[in-house]
Amino acid sequence: MSLDTIPIHVIHSPPGGAVDPAGLSGNAPPLLRELLEMLRRLLVTGETAAIDLSALPLTPADLDWLKHTLGAGEIAITLQASGESTLDETACPGVWWVTHHNEKGTVTSQFIEVAFVPELVKAHPQDVEIGLEHLELLLSDL
Amino acid sequence: MQGPLIDTLVRQGVSRRTFLKYCATLASMMALPPTAGRAMADAMAAARRPSVIWLPFQECTGCTESITRSHSPTIEGMIFDMISLDYQETLMAAAGFQAEEARHQAMKENAGKYLLIVDGSIPLGQDGAFSCTAGRTNLETLKEAAAGAAAIVAMGSCASFGGIPRANPNPTGAVSVSDIIKDKPIVNIPGCPPIPVVMTGVLAHYLTFGSLPELDDKGRPKAFYGETIHDRCYRRPFYDQGKFAKTFDDEGARNGWCLFELGCKGPVTHNACATTKWNGGTSWPVESGHGCLGCSEPDFWDAGGFYKALSMPADPLKIAAAAAVAGAAVGVAVSFANRAKKGAAKAAHETTTLDDLEK
Repeated sequence: MSLDTIPIHVIHSPPGGAVDPAGLSGNAPPLLRELLEMLRRLLVTGETAAIDLSALPLTPADLDWLKHTLGAGEIAITLQASGESTLDETACPGVWWVTHHNEKGTVTSQFIEVAFVPELVKAHPQDVEIGLEHLELLLSDL
Repeated sequence: MQGPLIDTLVRQGVSRRTFLKYCATLASMMALPPTAGRAMADAMAAARRPSVIWLPFQECTGCTESITRSHSPTIEGMIFDMISLDYQETLMAAAGFQAEEARHQAMKENAGKYLLIVDGSIPLGQDGAFSCTAGRTNLETLKEAAAGAAAIVAMGSCASFGGIPRANPNPTGAVSVSDIIKDKPIVNIPGCPPIPVVMTGVLAHYLTFGSLPELDDKGRPKAFYGETIHDRCYRRPFYDQGKFAKTFDDEGARNGWCLFELGCKGPVTHNACATTKWNGGTSWPVESGHGCLGCSEPDFWDAGGFYKALSMPADPLKIAAAAAVAGAAVGVAVSFANRAKKGAAKAAHETTTLDDLEK
């Protein structure tokens, strides 16, 4: 049997970040309304929120569409902690696209966070205390 | 029992952000609200390391294989550093007398407090002679170890429901843990094998809350087994649109349409494969083009054929009617409705606290 007789259907991503309309399930647009509510609440009450993207029936094309539609903002944060995490602001300030990778580069979880600054970016007071001690130690050696 | 978990982690050079990131992922996999990661991190950081004894009975070691693939060197390994695994025949260095001695010592020192994990079914035929360790039957060993356990985790379909050893005609008289032990809290983690992170998730829950998670009517944690494969399947929209693969190489199969007519047991199978996936999130059976076998349900081996379509989908009318009205958006709506059922929707309006998670 030659390779040609085995039916293979190759899907190429369209170039230039465009989205393949055939893969859209229609499940992504309602999430924008959800985000709208979350963003309003953030402004009124200061309350943060998040959407867990891996918990929803979204196709890869849906995710591309969402990311493409929300666009890219001014800030892109990279965190190195047991693999890379990216916390990127979208074109809507206050809406962050958060992706966690493990050491092997596999995506372990993906969220859209609604916050002024994502929680993970802030330094914890206990860690700041350790930083203070370290700085004091550096100064005592001078 | 040692000091708080966060101290152990800091000694191992694990940063707080690494831990927070891990908790966020874990919360996602446990189908908790996204904001629960923070509350979990606070509770887990203060948790202490419990003693764990793992007994293998009539099993194929597939469950151990699955779980060992999940940790070292990935972050799940942290969880295993968070427990004190005092007896595990496959993984421990000790053998023979020393191994048995380690088990007895752990049982004595942590009486009433240790977590007992069991994989494999227990044969009752021929007075239990089908499976013995150190000259004693599995039945004797289980009863002895269960007596001092705080709780029991039945790992895999064999320990949970009898599994493949119990398949018709059940030559060894295999039964599940819950068929024998009636006076201890038991959590079933079925699957052939179970998903690695489901195991670590239950341990994390035990560490976080000091109790076992909320269970369904078959003793399975609702966080992982609360929804069907079908409800969380990325091919679900094709089911709603009536697009089905009819054979394994037709156009529908190549287009990634629903595998219902090829015998997929997704609609009646409760497991987390569709969201957590397998092999470090690489893929899962349906994504690889094969229907679900239903391995986390009782007697899946005798359920009438892997390639025979279910005679009737679970809850077909309700879902079909909703789909007709709401169109394609129904998938999202169903997911949110399911979450609401768990009382998690509350978290969408308020910051999640530890109390909320324990409800």
